[in-house]
Amino acid sequence: MKRLLILVVLVISVAFAGGDKLVVAFQGGAVTLDPDMRNETTTLAWQHHIFDAPYVFDAAGKVVPMLATSIKNVDPNTWILKVRDDVKFHDGSSMTPEDVAFSIVRAATHPKSQMKGYLGKVESATVQADGSIVIKTKVPDPLLPAHLDHAMVVPKAYLEKVGDEGFAKHPIGTGPYKFVEWLNADHLSLVRFEDYWGEKPAFAKVLLRNIPQGATRVAGLLSGEIDIAEKVLPQDFGRVNNSGRAVVKQTPGVRVIYVAMDYWREYGSEGLPKGAKNPFMNPEARKAIYMAINEEAIVKKIMGGAATVAPQFLAKVHEGYSPNIHRFPYDPKAARKILEDLGYGDKDGDGWLELPTKDGKRVPFELRVDAPNDRYLNDAQIAQALASMLRDIGIKASVNAVPKKVFFPNMTKGHFTLYMAGWGSMDPINTVLSMFHSKDASGLYGRFNREHYHNAQVDALIEKAAQTFDQSTRKKLLVQAMDIAMLKDVAYIPLHYENVIAGVAKGVDFTPRPDEYIHAFEAKK
Amino acid sequence: MLRYLLIRTVQTIIAVFAVATLIFLGLQMTGDPMENLAPQDMSDQQVAQLRHAYGLDKPVYVQYELFMLHMAKGDLGISFLSGEPALGLILERFPTTLKLVLVSMFIAIFFGLPMGVASAIRADGWIDRSLRFLSVLGISAPTFWIGIMLILIFSVNLGWLPSSGLSSWKHYLMPAFTLSLYRIALFLRMVRSTMLDVLNQDFIRTARAKGLAERVVVYKHALRNALIPFITVAGLQFGALMAGAIVTEKIFAIPGMNRLALDALYADDRPVIIAFIIVTAVLFAVINLVVDLLYAFIDPRVRYA
Repeated sequence: MKRLLILVVLVISVAFAGGDKLVVAFQGGAVTLDPDMRNETTTLAWQHHIFDAPYVFDAAGKVVPMLATSIKNVDPNTWILKVRDDVKFHDGSSMTPEDVAFSIVRAATHPKSQMKGYLGKVESATVQADGSIVIKTKVPDPLLPAHLDHAMVVPKAYLEKVGDEGFAKHPIGTGPYKFVEWLNADHLSLVRFEDYWGEKPAFAKVLLRNIPQGATRVAGLLSGEIDIAEKVLPQDFGRVNNSGRAVVKQTPGVRVIYVAMDYWREYGSEGLPKGAKNPFMNPEARKAIYMAINEEAIVKKIMGGAATVAPQFLAKVHEGYSPNIHRFPYDPKAARKILEDLGYGDKDGDGWLELPTKDGKRVPFELRVDAPNDRYLNDAQIAQALASMLRDIGIKASVNAVPKKVFFPNMTKGHFTLYMAGWGSMDPINTVLSMFHSKDASGLYGRFNREHYHNAQVDALIEKAAQTFDQSTRKKLLVQAMDIAMLKDVAYIPLHYENVIAGVAKGVDFTPRPDEYIHAFEAKK
Repeated sequence: MLRYLLIRTVQTIIAVFAVATLIFLGLQMTGDPMENLAPQDMSDQQVAQLRHAYGLDKPVYVQYELFMLHMAKGDLGISFLSGEPALGLILERFPTTLKLVLVSMFIAIFFGLPMGVASAIRADGWIDRSLRFLSVLGISAPTFWIGIMLILIFSVNLGWLPSSGLSSWKHYLMPAFTLSLYRIALFLRMVRSTMLDVLNQDFIRTARAKGLAERVVVYKHALRNALIPFITVAGLQFGALMAGAIVTEKIFAIPGMNRLALDALYADDRPVIIAFIIVTAVLFAVINLVVDLLYAFIDPRVRYA
């Protein structure tokens, strides 16, 4: 009896000694704990604590197996997936291949699933007698392993018993942390899953919180209430680093902020004077704009160092990041010269460049720079800086920065001539298909290519890459396509990659990931 | 009395349906909710499937009809974002906001009312002048600034109070004070001016002339009369706080219903927006009713037949 008592005391003290709690403050909160219903960074980041997936991206952007042990592609539309047999769900039941197959199909076909952008090509997933899973796709998808990142594994029997709504209230997964309690979009309380198949996280308890105000997150970090605070604002960097209680950690992210230009309307582009010719159909004119932009200054002065100058559209972690692409040099004089040589020179001597109109007159080169003002870090200020740099080379630029709710619908409808926006995706094939392939009616290609960039050669390379299963060949094709699109065609002007920023308390070892997910299980003591 | 309550209830129900209709139609004009709901990487066809799953592909009048039929049964729909019942999401957070607002109102009345009386009794004395000066500060200081300043002083520098959340009594102090500061100043000025009005009236002179103690004159006769406009304003302020504590909830990361409603607005989560507005409308109706009943309680001349 006495021994038992000592044992109990020992167990309790060990549990508490190792029972440190980690509090992580996010700028938002998960809106649902059902892993298929909301494709948004914070929601997914919170869910990753509870659920595992067959494959995931590691911090370097590489696709690595998690619940999977192997995947083999037998013909363009068929894959054979094998999964671990030593994995337990939080309720103690063992994970079976049936659970994995069920989860893949659910993500691919549930009416409200938001994961169809990744798994929509999956037609079926069935379990063979030997426990391997045969995945059939409707069209070839060479990046299926990467897409399985979004097929978080749920327990089939439990989910069918409690239904979608019941499952979201008390989710069970195979992840490193077990669900304890939560308030939708406010906080999620978790406890370490001691039967976890993989490396056990360092902290026994985790509290994920939504603290929307940047100043409050920093205050909590400095007062010791919070251990990791995401999205510390550049103006607070000094205060955090000088506090002696926490430091700011940064990693270049995959989100690129870029400038796009109207590529499809010779006349009638809406950001130019009425009737004026659109100069941006010509890659030379786009290059001139590129050379007029002092990106170093934007990163330093406006972003406060919270961004990394982007030499190209894809990020370094992406397959297809080209070793050949560097930024065109910042040279406003040369930029103006290019525009003058194209016939947009200042003939009336008022200092502004000019555009010809359809009826042979010349009008001042006025240009509206469109941008959102509540979507990206310092977006409106960046647009202001762009406009003033354009004015320096003689373009009478003005800024129209509006809330994202107004901006994005107008962008989709093509109401802009030159605008600033951002793109962030871990999937390079998705990126080039959506942004660089010419627009087509099927909606499969060029879905976000709103400026109608088109080059048949680039299209062919992209289409080939999208169907190539061999990684090194695919990479070569993507690099070729990017070299043409970025160097020859100047399809977009990359500005910078937003850094992923986290304030980390002393005593916690944590580095943010390029894909913006903050995971408490990656924190060490 | 019963008849009066019945009429008021019917009025409230009609008002709620009218408000719901206006909001429903108003939201139709703000564009396509799919633009915010559907992730960027879904194809047009997949977005169409999602639209169908949420019933947003039906014509507006059909959607409206369904909405009204469900509302009559107390069902305000499922949140687009979370998949949970919208009304449930709002009601889950209602008590949090209510507690915060009750504490703030208590602080505001506890300080504002006596200060106003004190100001009025010795009008233009030094107490009056200093209180009026402070009240100008209280009225003009922006909530946002006060909140951040309090956090910097009491959480970061002194380390006395937690900076965010609402899980212990300590958590209430800063947000409740932030919310009440403006109300203290408002109540002070309002009570002062109505008290001055009342104190100059004939019946007060009569009361004094017949030799009543000053204390009785001020508290029994003057204050009682000055309370009627005060209760109206306090009731309205209560409602305004319940539906407008958004800045405070955001700064202190309090899981109140206002913050949820703002997030819903940004994300175009229409069922939640509508649920919030309906809850607010009902709340205001209830507050107005309570205020009316309080009139009758304080002023015997007011009676509802």
